[in-house]
Amino acid sequence: MNFEAMQKAWQSQDPGAKVTINVNVLLNEVRHNQQHFRATIFWRDVREVGSAALMTVGFLVWGLRCHWWSFYLLAFACFEVGVFFVVDRRIQHRKQPVHNDSLQSCIEASLFQINHQIWLLRNVLWWYLLPPIIGIGAVLAQTLWTARGAGLAFLITIGAVFIITYGFTYGFVYWLNQRAVKKQLEPRRQELETLLAGLKEPRNQPLMDADGR
Amino acid sequence: MTAQEQEALFRRWLKEHLGLMLKVVRGCATAPPDQDDLFQDILLQLWSSIPSFRGEAKETTWIYRVAFNTALAWQRGERRRREKQEIFLRLDTSPQVQPSHVDSLPEQEIVERLYAAIRQLPKVDTSLALMHLDGLSYQEMAEVLGISENYVGVKLNRIRKQLADQLKGATDEL
Repeated sequence: MNFEAMQKAWQSQDPGAKVTINVNVLLNEVRHNQQHFRATIFWRDVREVGSAALMTVGFLVWGLRCHWWSFYLLAFACFEVGVFFVVDRRIQHRKQPVHNDSLQSCIEASLFQINHQIWLLRNVLWWYLLPPIIGIGAVLAQTLWTARGAGLAFLITIGAVFIITYGFTYGFVYWLNQRAVKKQLEPRRQELETLLAGLKEPRNQPLMDADGR
Repeated sequence: MTAQEQEALFRRWLKEHLGLMLKVVRGCATAPPDQDDLFQDILLQLWSSIPSFRGEAKETTWIYRVAFNTALAWQRGERRRREKQEIFLRLDTSPQVQPSHVDSLPEQEIVERLYAAIRQLPKVDTSLALMHLDGLSYQEMAEVLGISENYVGVKLNRIRKQLADQLKGATDEL
């Protein structure tokens, strides 16, 4: 069977024959989805940046009340995380894939985003976990120093509770992030790289048209 | 672009290019729930894309771009929960061959087999095969994919051979 016969059969189909669309409901749906998407993004940012801001203010006030320098450090760590969120979102927002771009550009933009996401999660220790850990460590040190007269057993207990609680929590957060990279992001990156490779013109490829000329 | 203009253009595209979108849906997804989900995603992306449409690109080229980009970003098994949504779509995407002649059944069979063969291709080749069968020019296909016309030719040469091989056995049976 030659290609022209295939094309003729293909073009004789009417794939829309059995489709019924209620356009008014569809329009409501697309508007609703768009609003929902914007609201989701907005509240995600509010949640992340808002909680960082809230903790910054909270620790700052706490530090001012009890005159503990370690709380200032913790407040600064929370502030740093919040600023990182804002700056990163702003930079990434400009590089989002546009669905009406060419396939190659869209895949490249998606790949860039995935690579960035992988970078963020792989380095979550440095930008997200470590600053608060340093702050919490300072609070622990100051707590132990202040309570140094309470006996060694008490100090060891307090220290152990701090370390176990935060060690477990932060370790779990780190593990979750690395798991997401391995299970979700890496396979997606490979998929996108394969797609992109399918669009890249190989070097030394003999040029010919669809008729094999 | 005003909201009314956006709505009018969307309605017109739905009326005039529904077949194109459904071909992409059928070419990229097999199971009916997946097809339904992908189709809805394409419609949503198309709606969002309208404000950036300046008429510089051909409408079909634009719609193909949105449809293919959505299809590539869409992943099976990540269906959104739509149970609570109102039903705006009743989709039976089995292709209907125009009954222009009495022996149209073999043509319908050919189309079914073509869809099956297209789904076996790598994703990028699926896009090319769908556009080529629809009769787009090399330039249009190159614009949609963002590759050179020469490379479109090279890839189509391979795709045509693959499709012919896969349909060879099928057409012998008909």
